[in-house]
Amino acid sequence: MICAGIDMGSRTIKVVLIDGESLAAVASGIVDQGIEQEALAERLLQELLDERGLVRGDVGAVAATGYGRKLIRAADLHMTEITCQATGIAHSLPGTGAVIDIGGQDSKFLQLLPSGKVGDFAMNDRCAAGTGRFLEMAAAQLGLRISELGEMAGRSVDPSKISSMCVVFAETEIVGLLAQGSTVEDIAAGIQASIAQRIRAMAGSKASPPIVFTGGVALVPSMDAALAAAFGHPVAIAPNPQLTCAHGAAILAARHAGNGRKAD
Amino acid sequence: MTDSPRRITLDQWDDRYDQLRRGGLAEPSYGGCLRRHVDDGDTRLLDLVMDNSAASLRLWNFLLTEEGRLAAARRQGKVLVGAMKDLGTVPVMAFSLENVVAFYPDGAWWIPCIMQQNANLLEIADSLGVDDSFCPVRALLGAFVSEAHFPIPDQLVCSVGATCDDLSAIAQRLEGMGHAIHWWEVPHRRAPESDEEAVALPGIFSAPKSLVRFVQGELERVRDVLADRAGSPLTDDRLAAGIRRANQVRRLLAQLREEVFAAEAAPLPALEMLIAEMLAIHFCSDQQESAAVLEGLLAEARRRIREGVGVLAADAARVFWVNPVADLRMMNLLEEAGGRVCGTEYLFSHALDLIPEDLPPMEALARAALADPMVGSPVDRAERICHDGKRFGAEAVVVSAIPGASHCALEGAIIAEVVGGRLGVPVLEIEVPPITDSIRPTLQTRLEALVETVKTRRPP
Repeated sequence: MICAGIDMGSRTIKVVLIDGESLAAVASGIVDQGIEQEALAERLLQELLDERGLVRGDVGAVAATGYGRKLIRAADLHMTEITCQATGIAHSLPGTGAVIDIGGQDSKFLQLLPSGKVGDFAMNDRCAAGTGRFLEMAAAQLGLRISELGEMAGRSVDPSKISSMCVVFAETEIVGLLAQGSTVEDIAAGIQASIAQRIRAMAGSKASPPIVFTGGVALVPSMDAALAAAFGHPVAIAPNPQLTCAHGAAILAARHAGNGRKAD
Repeated sequence: MTDSPRRITLDQWDDRYDQLRRGGLAEPSYGGCLRRHVDDGDTRLLDLVMDNSAASLRLWNFLLTEEGRLAAARRQGKVLVGAMKDLGTVPVMAFSLENVVAFYPDGAWWIPCIMQQNANLLEIADSLGVDDSFCPVRALLGAFVSEAHFPIPDQLVCSVGATCDDLSAIAQRLEGMGHAIHWWEVPHRRAPESDEEAVALPGIFSAPKSLVRFVQGELERVRDVLADRAGSPLTDDRLAAGIRRANQVRRLLAQLREEVFAAEAAPLPALEMLIAEMLAIHFCSDQQESAAVLEGLLAEARRRIREGVGVLAADAARVFWVNPVADLRMMNLLEEAGGRVCGTEYLFSHALDLIPEDLPPMEALARAALADPMVGSPVDRAERICHDGKRFGAEAVVVSAIPGASHCALEGAIIAEVVGGRLGVPVLEIEVPPITDSIRPTLQTRLEALVETVKTRRPP
């Protein structure tokens, strides 16, 4: 039996197909978000099935997650990103103590219990501070792509201090730093450190290692190091960080379909 | 439509009201269909989901007709006292005098929600220099300017000191606009030192006797002001009788909370419970009717519990809610996410505790005033939350911050830290503005995630 997880993120849609017995991913895909969100997700799901020579009837269950989860009318299950992310990480990296998930427009911190279930969580989804959007806007201010910003940050000698959490004020601060002669490398590192501090503050006392970093921003070079410095613990990047949430959703779909059968 | 407990929309209430009327519904003088309040401008009702019982209908009508009661009291020549900030003590004193009616102008903070900002109260406050960096209680300034929501009180009495900084600043602005205020001070509550005489307060705390004496002295000044306004002495006998009447309301609320929060299936929704709890502090300008409204709710809750029915699924996540919400819609949202409220700390837990009846009344009132959660430390508040949360079997805690409220910025993290550590349950911090529509999806996701977390943590 094949099960599907659809992560309707704010910037991209991710779909993961898994084998309902082994829970291993058999196919995955990512597309940019758009206006016809449900149609985009359905199309991606269909493409993945076509690639594997499967038909919709082969799919035992579908779970939708992400901010647009309720748009997926065909889903058997709608779950939040918190539960799906925890499920995905607990499957791929058992024993994880905490999860940092930085996406395009929100960030989350999850404390996991030894069972892999969520113990507690915190979210920032009301402003761009501490999200991929903050990185994007800051990178644009420096004339860089987001990946280049990460590479530059890795070459910093003396990271700048970015005290503004608001994107608008941070832009002004960056202009000021450039005027004072700070290097782009130091400013880039300062931007990453600023986000990391924001996440650290959001986590409070819930940060018990091992800590895993996931979500689209985990692909940005040096961001893991900034988080490790802020938390005072090593931070490991999840395998396929953009897909862990959709994978978790697929696992939950398998559990739903199996009703507590073999799926763990 | 049946009599089984349900949460229904205003449209459904139109039919339900007709059905209740056909069934012989007996209504008080302020009764009527809920739709008429929308016609009066209370448009938020269109977005709310409400309990379908006759008892809840009476509660809503009681709440939404307070303005008329205050106007009637003025016509009858009664003295109107505007109590500010103390949340529970001054009204007990005021209602001890026959010709005095007390209310809270602070209650105007819900007008921007109920009227969906159509009354422009916040804009008026903005124009007076009290912008959105302050708590939404600033709406009271707009209400004083427009004179459209309550009669201007004959006497304002405001507590200050270890209370809300925002309200103190707003009240000072009000005084600057020509509305004279009698101020009385509440000091920060602290634990007694080893060499100090300790006095037990209502609830779970104690304080040095010197603090109680100080507050008693401040309340003596309030007593003089009220007696002067009323033109008759506020004797100890009158106060003792007033305390007994207030305690009648508090006892009813205590029973209602105990039975509703402990019930397996929630017999009443969170929204109606929130409004009912507020009666403990302001009585909706009618102490006797408050008791009658609560008796009706208690009877309905007991009937539902007896019949094993509720308004929510029995497996709803049991959530302890901290701080009142500026947008009433939030209480619906929690229930739509699969949660139920099973314990609250709405910043006036001291008004839910009985005022001692075996003490001289002024000392009893001083002790009650000092039990105010806001005059103690956030750690004290967290203690009370842990105490009550454990008692009601809370599986999660929501700390709902009020935007702009200075105390929320300081206390939220502390409460979350202490409560999360002590109870071992997830704690969610959110911020709720007067109208949440624009951030509803994000609030919904957080509440749904909390409910999912609670349910996945349950033993199989």
